[in-house]
Amino acid sequence: MATLIQLVVSGLATGAIYALMAVGFTLLWQTSQTINFAQGEFVMVPAFFILEAMYLGAPFWLAILIGIALSLLLLGLVFKFVIVDPMLKHGVLPLVISTIALSLFMKEMVKNFYSSQAQPFPSLAPPIDLHAFGAVISTQSLTVLAVAIGAVVALHILLHKTRLGRAMQATAQNPTLAQILGIPVRRMVLYTFLINAVLCAVASTLISPIYLAKFINGEPLGIAAFLAAIIGGFNQVRGAILGGFILGVLDNLSAAYLSSTYRGAFPLLILIAVIMWRPQGLLGRVEERTV
Amino acid sequence: MNRLGAIIVGAAALFVLALPLFLKPYGIYLGSMWAVLSIAAMGLNLTLGYAGQVSLAQGAFVGIGAYTTALLMHAGVPYPIAFVAAGLVCFSVGWVLGYPALRVQHHYLAFVTLAFTALVFLVMRNEEWLTGGTYGLSGIPRPVLFGWSTNGAVSFYYFSLGVLIALAAGTWWMLRSPWGRAFVALRENPIRALSLGLDTRRYTLMAFAIGSSIGGLSGAVYAPLVQYIEPLSFALALSLNLLLMVIVGGSGYFFGPFVGALVAVLLPEWLRVIQSYYLLLYAVLVMVMMAFCPDGILGLLHRALKTMIFKRNPPQPALQPERTSR
Amino acid sequence: MTAVLEVSALSKHFGGITAVDGVSFDVQEGEILGIIGPNGSGKSTLFNCVLGQLTPNEGEVRVDGQTITGMRPCDINRLGVSRTFQLLQVFPQLSVRDNLILAGQEHQGSMYSRLIGAADAGLSDAAGQMIDFFRLTHLADERAGMLSYGQQKLLDAAMAFMAGPRLVLLDEPAGGVNLTMLGHLRERLQTYHAERKATFVVIEHQMEFVMALCTRVLVLAEGRLIAEGAPQDIRRDPVVIEAYLGH
Repeated sequence: MATLIQLVVSGLATGAIYALMAVGFTLLWQTSQTINFAQGEFVMVPAFFILEAMYLGAPFWLAILIGIALSLLLLGLVFKFVIVDPMLKHGVLPLVISTIALSLFMKEMVKNFYSSQAQPFPSLAPPIDLHAFGAVISTQSLTVLAVAIGAVVALHILLHKTRLGRAMQATAQNPTLAQILGIPVRRMVLYTFLINAVLCAVASTLISPIYLAKFINGEPLGIAAFLAAIIGGFNQVRGAILGGFILGVLDNLSAAYLSSTYRGAFPLLILIAVIMWRPQGLLGRVEERTV
Repeated sequence: MNRLGAIIVGAAALFVLALPLFLKPYGIYLGSMWAVLSIAAMGLNLTLGYAGQVSLAQGAFVGIGAYTTALLMHAGVPYPIAFVAAGLVCFSVGWVLGYPALRVQHHYLAFVTLAFTALVFLVMRNEEWLTGGTYGLSGIPRPVLFGWSTNGAVSFYYFSLGVLIALAAGTWWMLRSPWGRAFVALRENPIRALSLGLDTRRYTLMAFAIGSSIGGLSGAVYAPLVQYIEPLSFALALSLNLLLMVIVGGSGYFFGPFVGALVAVLLPEWLRVIQSYYLLLYAVLVMVMMAFCPDGILGLLHRALKTMIFKRNPPQPALQPERTSR
Repeated sequence: MTAVLEVSALSKHFGGITAVDGVSFDVQEGEILGIIGPNGSGKSTLFNCVLGQLTPNEGEVRVDGQTITGMRPCDINRLGVSRTFQLLQVFPQLSVRDNLILAGQEHQGSMYSRLIGAADAGLSDAAGQMIDFFRLTHLADERAGMLSYGQQKLLDAAMAFMAGPRLVLLDEPAGGVNLTMLGHLRERLQTYHAERKATFVVIEHQMEFVMALCTRVLVLAEGRLIAEGAPQDIRRDPVVIEAYLGH
C-alpha cells in the first residue's frame, strides 16, 4: 500500500510535467494548426540554457530566469516568425516536416555544442523525504507537483478569467469570427507560442533533475507530450492536463508492477489503443471538415 | 515522361549499371546501400508523396523485414520465400496500424507510427530469444539464387539493383493504373475526390500498407548486405533519415527517392571530416528546403526546366465552334 | 411517389451559431430546384449536410427513400448524387480527359479491378463524349490547371455528370463566369436535364440565371426557409424582398 501511494504520488508529479508539455502542444494546435513535432526537444533544450548560464556564473534562480527568457525568445518568437509563419503558407504538411527537421537540429546542436554526456541538473527542492501513511514521499515530487499545478492554475486563470484569455480562446475556436470581432488574431497566436515556450521551460526545469539533462531526452518527452494530448483529446486543453496525469501515473505503475524492460511500452500501447477505439480521446469532440 | 526526362533517366541508368567498372569494393558496397535505401525511400514516397501522410515507421518496417528475412534464412527457408514473407508481414502490419489511424483527420498516423517505431525497438531489444536482443543477429548469408551466388560485392550490387528495378517497375505500373490517378486526386484535392466517389481512406490505407511492405522488402535486401543486424540500426533515426531523404529528393516525384538516397549515402562520405555535423547540416538543409522549395531537388529542377522550355500555346477559342449538323 | 431528395427538419450549429435551422423540403424527379438567399443564410452549409461533408445536428436526409444522413461523401456519391463546388473544382495536374476518367472510374468495378485493369478504366470514350458535349474538345489533353475560370467551371459540371447521376447539386455554378460562357453553361445544363431526365438543385445568387433555369425556388434566410414557389412569384414576394434588403 505504501509503495502504491509512493508510485501514485511520483506518477502524479511526472504526470504534471507531461500535462504542461501537452497543454502547450494543444494550444499551438488549437490556435494555429501547428503540430510541433519538436515539442520534446523544446523541453530538453531550456535545461541547457540554464546549465550554460550557471556555468557562466549565474546563481540557480537567475539561471532559471535567463532560461525562461531565452526560451521565450528562441522557442517562442524565433520559432513562430522564422519557422512557423513562412511554412504555414505552404500548408500543414511542410510545417510538420519542418518541425521534425527542427527536432533533429536541436538535438544535434546540443550534442555537438554542449555535450553528448548526461548532465546532472539541480533540483528546486531540498532532498529531504517526508513520511506519511507509512510511505516515503520525496519533496522532489511534491515540489514538482506544486510548481506544475501552480503553472496549470495560472494558465487556467489566464485563459478563463481574463479578457486576454477569453480573446485567445475565441481565436482558437473561430479565428475568422474573432477577427471580425476586432480581436488581434495574430497577436493572440503569438501569445500562445510564448505561453508554450514558458510551459516548456518550466517543464524542463522540473524534469531535468529527475532524468538528467541529455540531448536524447527529446524523443521520450515528445512522445509523452503527444500521448497525453491525444489521450485527453487532441483539441482540448483540459483533456491535455487529464491525459498528462493519467499517463504519468500509469507509466509509473506499469514500470513497477509490469516488466521494467518494457517501461516505455505501456504508454505506447495506450496510444495505439486510444487511436483505435476512441480517437477523439477522453474529452475531445469529433472534428469535421468543411468545404 | 517527356523526352528530356527519358534521356536523363537513360543516362543515369547506364551510369548505375556500369558502376562496378570504376569503383573499388567499398564504393560498390555504397552502391548496394544506395539501392537498399532507394527501395525503402520509394515505399515511403508512396505514403508521403502520393497519399500525403507522414509515416515515422518506415525504418521500423525495414527492421521487421530484415529480422524476418534473417530469422527465416537461419531456419533454412530459401531466400525467395523469406523475401516474400518480409513483404507480406510488413503489408499486414501496415494495414492493421493504418486502419484506425487513418479514420481520423489529423496527422494521427504520424503519432501512431512514432509510437510504433519506439515499440518495435523495445521488442527487438528485449526479446533476446527471438532477435538476439542487443547482440543482434549475425552470420546472415548472402543468398544463392538459381545457382548464382551473390557473395561478392559486385554480384550483390547487381542483385540489389535487380530488386530495385523490379520494385520500381511494379510501382511505376501501379501509378500508371487508375490507382495512380486516384493518388494524384487524393493529393491535390481530397474533398473534391471524395465527392466523386473516391474512397480516400481506402486509397490512403493501401498506399501506406504497400509503402510499408516495400520498406520490409528493403530490409530483406539490407540483411544479407550487412550480414549483421541489431536493433539500433532500425530506431527512430532511420525513419527520420528516410523521411528526410524523400523530402530532399522531392516528395511525390517518382525518382525523388533515388535522388534523396544518393544524397543520404554521399553526404556522410563528403562530410567525413566533420562527420558528427552531418545530421545537423542535413536538418538545416531540410528546413531551408521546406521554406523555399518544398518540392525538393527534383521539384527545383522541374521548375527550372519549365521556365527554360516554356512554350506558348496559340490562343484557343473559349469553346469549340458549334457544329452545323446539330 | 417517393421524392428523389427529402430533407426533414435539418439543423446544424457551430458552437453558438445556428447555420441551418429546421429546414425541410422535397425535390421531385425531373425538377430543377433553385435555392437562393442572402449571404450567410446557410445555403452552402445545407448542401454540405446533404452531401455528407458535414453531419447535421438534427434532422434527416433521404435519397429515393434511403436515409443518407451521416454517410460519407464518397458513399453518397456512389448512390447517384453528385455536386459541383463553389471554390474547389478540378485537379490541376491532371488533363481534362483524366479529370473526367477519374470522375467515372470510382463508380465501376472494385479497387482490385482498378489496379489490374486498363489504365483508362475503359472510360476514354465516355470522357470524350462528355468533353464534346461541353465543347471543350480542343482542350482535352491540356492540364486542367491551364484552363480559364469559365472553362474550369464547365469541367466541374462535366465531372459531376460523368457517372450519370440521378441528382446533381450545383453550388453557385454561375459565380464569376462571363456572360457568353454563362449562356453556354445554362444551355448545356438544360440540354443535359432534358436528355437524361436528371434532377438538379442549384444554389445561386444571380437572379437571371435562376429565373431562366429553375422550375421552383426556395428562399433561405438566417438558416430558415422563408418562402417557396415558382420563380416569378418568389421575385415579387414581399417577405423575400425584405430578407434581401433588410441586410
